[in-house]
Amino acid sequence: MENYEQSFNYENCLRNEELTKQGYEKKKQRKTGTTIAGIIFKDGVVLGADTRATEGYIVADGNCEKIHRISDYIYCCGAGTSADTENTTALISSKLELMRLTTGREPRVQNALTLLKQYLYHYHGYVSAALVLGGVDFKGPHLHMIHPHGSTSTLPFLTMGSGSLAAMAVFEAEYKTDLDEESAKNLVHKAITAGIFNDLGSGGNVDLCVMKFQNTQFFRNFDKPNKRKFSRINAYRFPKGTTQFLEEKVTLLRKNLVIENLDKNNNNNDNDNNDNNDNNDL
Amino acid sequence: MSIYEYNGSALIAMAGKECVAIASDTRFGVRNQTVWREAQKIFQINNKTFLGLGGLNTDIWTLKETFRFHHNLYALREERDMSPKVFANLVSHVLYSHRFGPYFVSPIVCGLDDDNVPFLCGTDEIGAQEITHDFIATGTAVESLMGVCETFYKENLEPEDLFETISQCLLAGVDRDCLSGWGAVVHVLTKDGITTRKLKMRQD
Amino acid sequence: METVELYNSQEQIVLDDLSEPVKTGTTIMAVQYKGGIVIGADSRTTSGALIVNRVTDKLTPVADKIFSLRSGSAADTQEIAAIVRYYLNILSTEQGKPPTVKMAANLFRQFCYVYKNYLLASIICAGYDETDGPSIYSIPLGGAIIKQPYAIGGSGSTYLYGYCDANFKEDMTKEECVSFVTNAVGLAIARDGSSGGIIRYAIIDSDGVERHTIYGDQVKNYFK
Repeated sequence: MENYEQSFNYENCLRNEELTKQGYEKKKQRKTGTTIAGIIFKDGVVLGADTRATEGYIVADGNCEKIHRISDYIYCCGAGTSADTENTTALISSKLELMRLTTGREPRVQNALTLLKQYLYHYHGYVSAALVLGGVDFKGPHLHMIHPHGSTSTLPFLTMGSGSLAAMAVFEAEYKTDLDEESAKNLVHKAITAGIFNDLGSGGNVDLCVMKFQNTQFFRNFDKPNKRKFSRINAYRFPKGTTQFLEEKVTLLRKNLVIENLDKNNNNNDNDNNDNNDNNDL
Repeated sequence: MSIYEYNGSALIAMAGKECVAIASDTRFGVRNQTVWREAQKIFQINNKTFLGLGGLNTDIWTLKETFRFHHNLYALREERDMSPKVFANLVSHVLYSHRFGPYFVSPIVCGLDDDNVPFLCGTDEIGAQEITHDFIATGTAVESLMGVCETFYKENLEPEDLFETISQCLLAGVDRDCLSGWGAVVHVLTKDGITTRKLKMRQD
Repeated sequence: METVELYNSQEQIVLDDLSEPVKTGTTIMAVQYKGGIVIGADSRTTSGALIVNRVTDKLTPVADKIFSLRSGSAADTQEIAAIVRYYLNILSTEQGKPPTVKMAANLFRQFCYVYKNYLLASIICAGYDETDGPSIYSIPLGGAIIKQPYAIGGSGSTYLYGYCDANFKEDMTKEECVSFVTNAVGLAIARDGSSGGIIRYAIIDSDGVERHTIYGDQVKNYFK
């Protein structure tokens, strides 16, 4: 097991603890109150996610990306604290990429799974990333879920996040083995939509990722069920001079065009008359 | 009380047509008492990148120096400036490395990339990125700022119009927040240069 | 064995709280018969009141004929099982012969004892080896190791002590033993809210491992 001690800095902990004692409460970190899901179908895996990120009850981002790339043929949905899901998947992604370069082989899903679960287990659940890992390698399609404490389950269909119950209800009712690609996509779409509309923490659009052997298709905003119905016809427009200011300072950027101009002139000259080539070499 | 409300801040960044603007209030307070009216919360990182930091003032300055240090090392090593996207990743990385003992800041990064396409990114205190294409707000006045931005913002504004829009958003937004205001500064970044203006506003 | 918290401090049902560790509120058991052992378990994994996995396989192999039955924190027990499997692999390669159940059980004991303040894991280690024949060890929470003719574990085991005391016999036949195990797990599933799903059981003897499942609708209904 590698040494992770270098990766985190604890120098502020004492200070922050002292501030908490003085009665300054902690801020809510950005969470992805989420619906994420994945299923195995005949030729591969479909992953799905909603796109809402929340800070407390505020929607911090209405269209964020929760399906992260691990490698070309392995993707991973993340729920929990978004900084944790993003950084954990990015870390493992880079480890696998290095491994791919040293071995010359495509990483396997099992490899990603082991790295992720050992990393999360190392931090005893304090790195709160709940992940749905899916991918297709030469052994076939694989689908796993990883909980923040490092435990894993392997299932043909699974959901995670606050909307997991709504999404699982859809899967439990309609999942069949050996679905074709189109019905698999529709089923995941339906499950995520169930999360978006029935869970307060989930919302926004539906992202899908379809993985088959050596073939990945990522559908960013596969469906946008929550488009704004109304848009302003006459937008506000402030005439110039509305805002009064006391001071103005204009800093012009030094135009660093000299070299570019020379090159351009050379090229033009080349095209215009080839006789001048000797001069241009200077 | 949250430690984020100790000093008070209001920041917005907005994208226009081949330009971005970033604005902040200039109040520095200690809880309800205003101490200074010319606090800096926006920092120019390089010709095409600005960083706005809301939150606890002591952490704002610590982090600002940390980012400057890393940016300068990068510039020396690579002989070029960081693009806004790279800088946003630096911010995320530094903040996430303090995952279990965070700095109490909420940063926004804005700038123009090599093709002068606007880049806007906000993060939470532990570096979770949120990249947007229209506007982003942070600070103690974030709720009211987001509200006015939603109604006032338009796409593809020219620099001068963008200045008016972002200024009016900030002025309207901080009116509903006790902990920010007392002066405002707006930077408009275009491919040709930077225009910095200090706004005339109510002092209460 | 371990408690499964269904309610948090505010007495609200925790349906899907990520801070809630994933546990196997479990029924597991292993029984010796003449010439082999039968191991059995339910298949429910819970996080608070949410069933995370309803078809869990809690019979985790650590060597060809040695199984660990896991109860407690899912993360802890999975990790320990993975480490023990790794150690046994090396050990058997060095020795040039398969490991004994005693060795496997003592490895489990080692981890459970040394890290007892950090782990929530109680494990039954059972299997067959050429030295000792069929054997069953239970490693409860503090890291003790107890060799038993039969062992039960997990939250569901509280409902089974009387039944097992009354019905266990030394030197049962294979068929008697299988029905003893499946009946017992069925009884626990019926009474224990943290156990449920399907019954997985396996028969391990000198010939190898034979695995079976009893699906949810075929689990005996004792209430009628």
